Amino acid sequence: MKNSAKVVVIGGGVVGLAVAYNLARLGVKDVVVLERAYLGSGATSRCGAGIRQQWGTEMNCKLAKKSMDIFEEMNEMLEVKRDIELKQKGYLLLAFSDKEMEQFRKNLEVQSKFDIPSREVTPEEAKEIVPHLNLEGIVGGAFCPTDGHANPFLVTEAYAKAAKRLGVEIYTYTEALDIEKKNDKITAVLTDKGKIKTDKVVNTAGGYSQQIGEMVDLELPVKSERHEILVTEKVAPLQGPMVMSFSYNIYCQQTPEGPFLMGYGDPNEPESYNINASWHFLEEMTKKATRLLPPLKHIRVVRQWAGLYNITPDRQPIIAEAEEVPGFYMAIGFSGHGFMIAPMTGVILAEMIADEELSMDLKLDLGRFERGDLILEPSVV
Amino acid sequence: MRIKNHPILDFARDREITFYYNGQEIAAYPGETIASALHAAGIRKLSTSSKHHRPRGFFCAIGNCSSCFMVVDGEPNVKTCVVEVEEGMVVEEQEGRGDLSEKM
Repeated sequence: MKNSAKVVVIGGGVVGLAVAYNLARLGVKDVVVLERAYLGSGATSRCGAGIRQQWGTEMNCKLAKKSMDIFEEMNEMLEVKRDIELKQKGYLLLAFSDKEMEQFRKNLEVQSKFDIPSREVTPEEAKEIVPHLNLEGIVGGAFCPTDGHANPFLVTEAYAKAAKRLGVEIYTYTEALDIEKKNDKITAVLTDKGKIKTDKVVNTAGGYSQQIGEMVDLELPVKSERHEILVTEKVAPLQGPMVMSFSYNIYCQQTPEGPFLMGYGDPNEPESYNINASWHFLEEMTKKATRLLPPLKHIRVVRQWAGLYNITPDRQPIIAEAEEVPGFYMAIGFSGHGFMIAPMTGVILAEMIADEELSMDLKLDLGRFERGDLILEPSVV
Repeated sequence: MRIKNHPILDFARDREITFYYNGQEIAAYPGETIASALHAAGIRKLSTSSKHHRPRGFFCAIGNCSSCFMVVDGEPNVKTCVVEVEEGMVVEEQEGRGDLSEKM
């Protein structure tokens, strides 16, 4: 293991690896990624694998749109041997009340500013897009045809391999234990395999990012919360788009291989690091899904699992350098949509660290929570 | 091929039933699974793999491996190795992944 590095990235999920790849691409030498288990073992490989551009805040819309642009080119850009399984069959968002539809219309306005090709749909149009949809209670919806899916495992692997080719060193099963500081400046990262001298650390530890913050005495305004998912057996292609509702509280898509992947957010889920699967989820989820999408009752569930959302008060990530601790960068608090905006997050944060001009203006600093300068993302499951 | 004498199990084979495999009439005994009845009738191919459409047959026999998935009375992905055969059942070979388009 190296004993010094220009930049140490803590967290080998898709975000950390995207940051490392982009740092190397910008010519930063000596980049190290620390991962305490295997690559993508945290939220990345546990996520719902959706890519959505239909957001309610400018920042989320911009990051999502530009990330989708990157996903579209990713096979070539990262010289991927195995396709990342990008599927752009859209996201169909369903509104169950006029108030919810009003919110959709506001979101659509924001989205149109960034050339996101989303549009309002009537219940009848929704049924044309997803013929097996049960329209009961649905007053309307929104549809973006270029939203979709990519395989988080393959995307993670693609970033890791591309980063390695550019000289990034990735240490798996290596845990960051502490960060040493001298006169408020970072001097080293202490791991269970030894010390790495550095003055720049990137916190991409997902559900555990607050623990990395504590290492530099920062109390980060994020909390972790279990979110559960289940997957069914494979069936022939049946459903093109991801079907999603915030009020009915569900997302459900069929991935290109054939299984259906679905989840919802439990409003009573406490803050914790619990990633156990529950019976309660299995019962609720199957009821919800088969009511909205009746043919799913013919498919068996094969597996369920859970992962951590790392949630900020405004449901937007923190992508910034900490003002209080120079050299401490973070891409955290993705609030359930880290995978889908990882590509652009990697670009921006790497540019910040390498002191390059930013290819997108970004207002996702840490200070916004103290200033009370929050713009709440309304569209989160 | 059926086991006739077993040291522990008794097979009640006094009544014969009939079911259909790809339109062909097959005789079976109550209590047999679909796959075992097909196997006894000499049928080895139950489904095809989803990507390369290679033949798939009787494999784990305990409902774990998905190799015996067939369409039974219009229902795809039936684990025929653990589902008992019934009089008049319509069993069809499954081509790759189960198709639910009929269920919509």
